[in-house]
Amino acid sequence: MVHNSRSLTKLVGELKKLPGVGEKTALRLAFHLMKSPANVSALAESLLEVRARVRFCSTCFGITENDPCSICTGDRDSSAICVVEESQDLLAIERSGAFHGRYHVLQGALSPLNGVTPAQLRISELMRRIEAGGVREVVLATNFSVEGEATALYLTKLLKPLGIRVTRLAHGIPLGGDLEYIDAATVQRAMEGRSEL
Amino acid sequence: MLGAMDYREADRLVTLFTLEHGKLKGVAAGAKRSVRRFAGVCEPFARLRLQIVLREGLSRLQGADLVTVFPGIRRELVKIAHAGYACELTDQFLPEGVSNPRLFRLLVSYLERLDGASFSASDRRFFEINLLKILGYRPALGQCASCGMELTGEEHYRFSAAAGGLLCSCCGRVGPSVSPQTVALLGRALSSGRFGAVTFQPTSLREAGTLLDEAIAGHLVRPLKSLLFLQELGE
Ligand SMILES: [Zn+2]
Ligand SMILES: [Zn+2]
Repeated sequence: MVHNSRSLTKLVGELKKLPGVGEKTALRLAFHLMKSPANVSALAESLLEVRARVRFCSTCFGITENDPCSICTGDRDSSAICVVEESQDLLAIERSGAFHGRYHVLQGALSPLNGVTPAQLRISELMRRIEAGGVREVVLATNFSVEGEATALYLTKLLKPLGIRVTRLAHGIPLGGDLEYIDAATVQRAMEGRSEL
Repeated sequence: MLGAMDYREADRLVTLFTLEHGKLKGVAAGAKRSVRRFAGVCEPFARLRLQIVLREGLSRLQGADLVTVFPGIRRELVKIAHAGYACELTDQFLPEGVSNPRLFRLLVSYLERLDGASFSASDRRFFEINLLKILGYRPALGQCASCGMELTGEEHYRFSAAAGGLLCSCCGRVGPSVSPQTVALLGRALSSGRFGAVTFQPTSLREAGTLLDEAIAGHLVRPLKSLLFLQELGE
């Protein structure tokens, strides 16, 4: 592809490994970087810095620079744990400001079709946190995909016998959503989860 | 929808089993973002009415109307696991682009059964043996798969996946043993077109399970991931 530069070919190859980046985009990015040497050093530096400093919190498995993370050590409600699939989901809930407890990041979801079993997730670590005591509620905030629901069902089976309150994020019509345009699956679920006024 | 996975920034790569065109692979562009067109429908085992542009390789989904996501399946882990297994099994056995309305109806019936009835392990075995039959892999139950001698159904026989069926007492000395009751139940599962018509008792369920697991494994190119998941759940 980039016939006369081996290093450029290599860069394009690396960029193409990123999600959502194809051959054309990779080439465009590579040429853009070549034109701005200052950006290149800043980018290279921050990549190395992230790799050196960002790790997973050994308690909640969210991303952090200090282990344990500030959420795990801060004065947040330690009686409630919100379980999410990925660190990005934790950030989404934090952005909402609606939850004041702590988190647990599973680093994935159970998948019957992809053979992802409980042992591949941070489930035993979650159970150890709960066995340590003090947790009264677990909020299951896994996605509403088949995988996310399978994960929520599996955790419910583990947690319910421990006498812990297990809750699931509500699932329904998005704010500002026009019923007419909402897909049938969502309406079906919203109807099932309707609440008393 | 036999399977779906994230693809590129916002797309889903889907494996479909269509009534008219058999198995297809396709791309639902923007399925992760576009709430209107695809939200919640590009999910394993959902039943859909599709608008699709057929192409060599990857077809293109234009739109999808949901018939059902099978909410009853999605409420129970064991049902999710079995529905996933049925979809993966179908996916692996089915060549692309060959329509197979009988298998389509069998899979839909099984998913409807899982969705609406309480879970029964017999249904899985009913699905499996009928799948094998439709695909032309029906195990020989009436005569010895080696010498062709008629099996009268009065004694225990051995099963051989390699031979493709039961073996008479002369031909078969090793392999899983199958009782006359189990053979009769498997025969009924093959002749009845309805889930729930045949219930295997524990011993027969175990024997039929071993027989079918081996028969299926003999035809698989690669191991099924969903089987791992089922085993994990103790199924
Ligand atoms: Zn933490
Ligand atoms: Zn024989």
